Amino acid sequence: MSYAYLFKYIIIGDTGVGKSCLLLQFTDKRFQPVHDLTIGVEFGARMITIDNKPIKLQIWDTAGQESFRSITRSYYRGAAGALLVYDITRRETFNHLASWLEDARQHANANMTIMLIGNKCDLAHRRAVSTEEGEQFAKEHGLIFMEASAKTAQNVEEAFISTAATIYKKIQEGVFDVSNESYGIKVGYGGIPGPSGGRDGSAAQAGGCCS
Amino acid sequence: MHETELQDLSDDADYAASQQQGSRSISGSDSGKRSMSSEPDGAEVVYLKDNVTIHPTQYASERISGRLRLIKQGSSLFMTWIPYKAHSSGNDSESDRNLYTIKAVPFTDIRSIRRHTPAFGWQYMIVVLSSGLAFPPLYFYNGGVREFLATIKQHVFLVRSADDANAFLVNDIQDPLQRTLFSLELSRAVSVSNVPSASVSVSPAPSIENSQRTDGDSYDWSSSISQYNGRHRQKVQDPARDLSIQVLEKFSLVTKFAWETTSILFRESHNNDFGADERKNFIQSLPDNIRDTEHNNTEKVPEEIPVASDPLEFDKLTLVWGKPRQPPLGSDEWATFLDSEGRIMDSKALRNRIFYGGVEYRLRKEVWKLLLGYHAYDSTLAERDYLCSIKKTEYESIKRQWQSIPPEQAKRFTKFRERKGLVEKDVVRTDRSVSFYDGDDNPNVRLLRDILLTYSFYNFDLGYCQGMSDLLSPILFVMEDESESFWCFVALMERLGPNFNRDQNGMHSQLFALSKIVELLDSPLHNYFEQNDCLNYFFCFRWVLIQFKRQRKKRGWGTPENGGTIEEEERGEDKLGEFEYEKTMRLWEVLWTHYLSEHLHLYMCVAILKRYRKKIMGDQMDFDTLLKFINELSGHIDLDATLRDAEALCICAGENGEACIPAGTPPSLPVETGLSYSQQDDI
Repeated sequence: MSYAYLFKYIIIGDTGVGKSCLLLQFTDKRFQPVHDLTIGVEFGARMITIDNKPIKLQIWDTAGQESFRSITRSYYRGAAGALLVYDITRRETFNHLASWLEDARQHANANMTIMLIGNKCDLAHRRAVSTEEGEQFAKEHGLIFMEASAKTAQNVEEAFISTAATIYKKIQEGVFDVSNESYGIKVGYGGIPGPSGGRDGSAAQAGGCCS
Repeated sequence: MHETELQDLSDDADYAASQQQGSRSISGSDSGKRSMSSEPDGAEVVYLKDNVTIHPTQYASERISGRLRLIKQGSSLFMTWIPYKAHSSGNDSESDRNLYTIKAVPFTDIRSIRRHTPAFGWQYMIVVLSSGLAFPPLYFYNGGVREFLATIKQHVFLVRSADDANAFLVNDIQDPLQRTLFSLELSRAVSVSNVPSASVSVSPAPSIENSQRTDGDSYDWSSSISQYNGRHRQKVQDPARDLSIQVLEKFSLVTKFAWETTSILFRESHNNDFGADERKNFIQSLPDNIRDTEHNNTEKVPEEIPVASDPLEFDKLTLVWGKPRQPPLGSDEWATFLDSEGRIMDSKALRNRIFYGGVEYRLRKEVWKLLLGYHAYDSTLAERDYLCSIKKTEYESIKRQWQSIPPEQAKRFTKFRERKGLVEKDVVRTDRSVSFYDGDDNPNVRLLRDILLTYSFYNFDLGYCQGMSDLLSPILFVMEDESESFWCFVALMERLGPNFNRDQNGMHSQLFALSKIVELLDSPLHNYFEQNDCLNYFFCFRWVLIQFKRQRKKRGWGTPENGGTIEEEERGEDKLGEFEYEKTMRLWEVLWTHYLSEHLHLYMCVAILKRYRKKIMGDQMDFDTLLKFINELSGHIDLDATLRDAEALCICAGENGEACIPAGTPPSLPVETGLSYSQQDDI
């Protein structure tokens, strides 16, 4: 399948907040409560369409435990987008956001687009972090914000796609030098050929574009 | 001892072509001289060299020195190598000596001699018999390889290979075409397929049984080898064609070129009766330029490889050194290792045995406790039973420590709450595709939780870290007992605990040692990693952290080669989970023997990287691509073949390899207690 651009994403956040489930919901459109915990890093990929252009998202799903931070940091290199995830039912995962953000700022490129996701919003009855607090944190740190549920799929599509839309917009505005891959963007046909090769593929399973 | 002194080289690249005329010359070689035992009357020693040595393992202490002679009788020339008498009277070394002895071998039975003159280290040579079998390398400590060859030349017809100045073909060869074929490298062996196949398939290749008879009873072809072959024999109907196709297809690399070459080799060697695993191993051992040949490239022989070639000639090395895997240790054989009170009489022999074949499932419960060091090898059955009961009480009392924390207290005990929460989150994400752990409210999952939490109190400083549940799960599966699993896990953590240190120093030291070993064994690959900022070896992180567990595909990502998906793995995900689970346990018990090295897992990493070195360098993989590539190898790594490769690499690296690994690098015990371990285990 061909693409106009390939964006590298990284998903970060405390262990157990639902990073792998968000990825699986986005790539496979299913929720799998029983899955192996992530050791090191896992990968996912999906094509989306923005501005009628096929864009491939290559998503890195990282291990959340504190001990592995020194390893996880090496994965930030060359990421165009990050999903920073916390669990709205566990306050401490929200409290740790600042340290995740610090890591990201320190090890990723400065123009990386960060989306803050309050996951598990289907469990509103066990909510420990209010939507307003999430919004406030995002505003203070210049992040995009959404509450989502990997279980019900609410806002999952939107989170990944609006992040991509933001990156795409930055490209249009000339923020990135797309020939420099350290920004986490590869140009598809018409430019550097992507790993999936030919330019005759269709635009794939396009998700709805951002609102 | 289940050692073989002859290594099968019939599938070696360089002998592919030589098999052709070999099968022809064989028929004329049964001239009755084989039965000759020692020096016959009227024989003349035309060459004698002392301190010619065999290196059965990497350890200097196990090397066997001897005297190499060429003996002329009438018009026939014979070669002998007789080891010196052992200084120590250990059983092992004595039987090794007998095993490796080369009684008079007539030169009519020898196909070729390959001389190796490494830049550092001793010169050695490998003598290959007409059957395709080879003696282990003979190291010339005092030089003399040139003189050896010169002497042979005076008495028998010796041709130097046109392409390889270090390969010499013995025996007279009339047919100039055949003579040329010998000198061809496998990359050009496609032309072999044009040779009329009658000369290939009709002439019977000498079987292992033949060589056995020939070499007399001193060559103790282990019974397990024939057992092993026997197991496969029924399954293999048409070994020549079907297997080669099947195996090649499995690697998605079917090309006319490789296909034909392989078919020929299999047809050649099918009388040798080696099993499916060997064939598979052979396919994997094909040089990169064969395996990676594109489908549309069938006619063209890749002349130029854009990446630096492997300094070790890895594929050949594996064939020379990597020994065939054996069937797992069974009950009857296990009983022979025990004295009347249940002590292990020879722990080294036991570890050797397990190293080469693993353990049958029902024995694991008993054997793992020894391998892990929970029970001592010299303990009696009664002592082990007693220890179990004491340890059970001890376990219960540690467990009560966290069980007795009331909710009110837990509220003020954040560390405990966090730890408990983490463990509870992780045990339900551990091996749930294995039926032992599947389903809601599975009591085994609760046991995982209890043991891990108890461990985090037993070793409060280390606590709990992700990956531990992956290590514990097979142990509980095998032990089926809470307290016994706990203590086995404790013993394992004595060695692997540093993997989970907060500062990750145990992981970093292993990855560092890995980089040093790659530098030693494949400097072009090392240089490539250095230039591409990959020297942190984080792409091997999961392999090292949880000992190659999870080599199962989790999701439907593409295969490394073609970017597609593998449907059978999708369909039978659960079944495959069980299958890979068993594979993991087999690998672990092999690693836990610490037989060749405590760090064989690092050589496993090297073996896999070398297997894909051409792809890695040829595709100019950067860190991201490499990490993704390695991740996607999950489910595509043949653990048996990789073990064999790792064994070869480990032996080859020898002391230089061990010198790459700083003392105390996990799973070695920490330095302060390391000494007592090495004495105890005599490594």
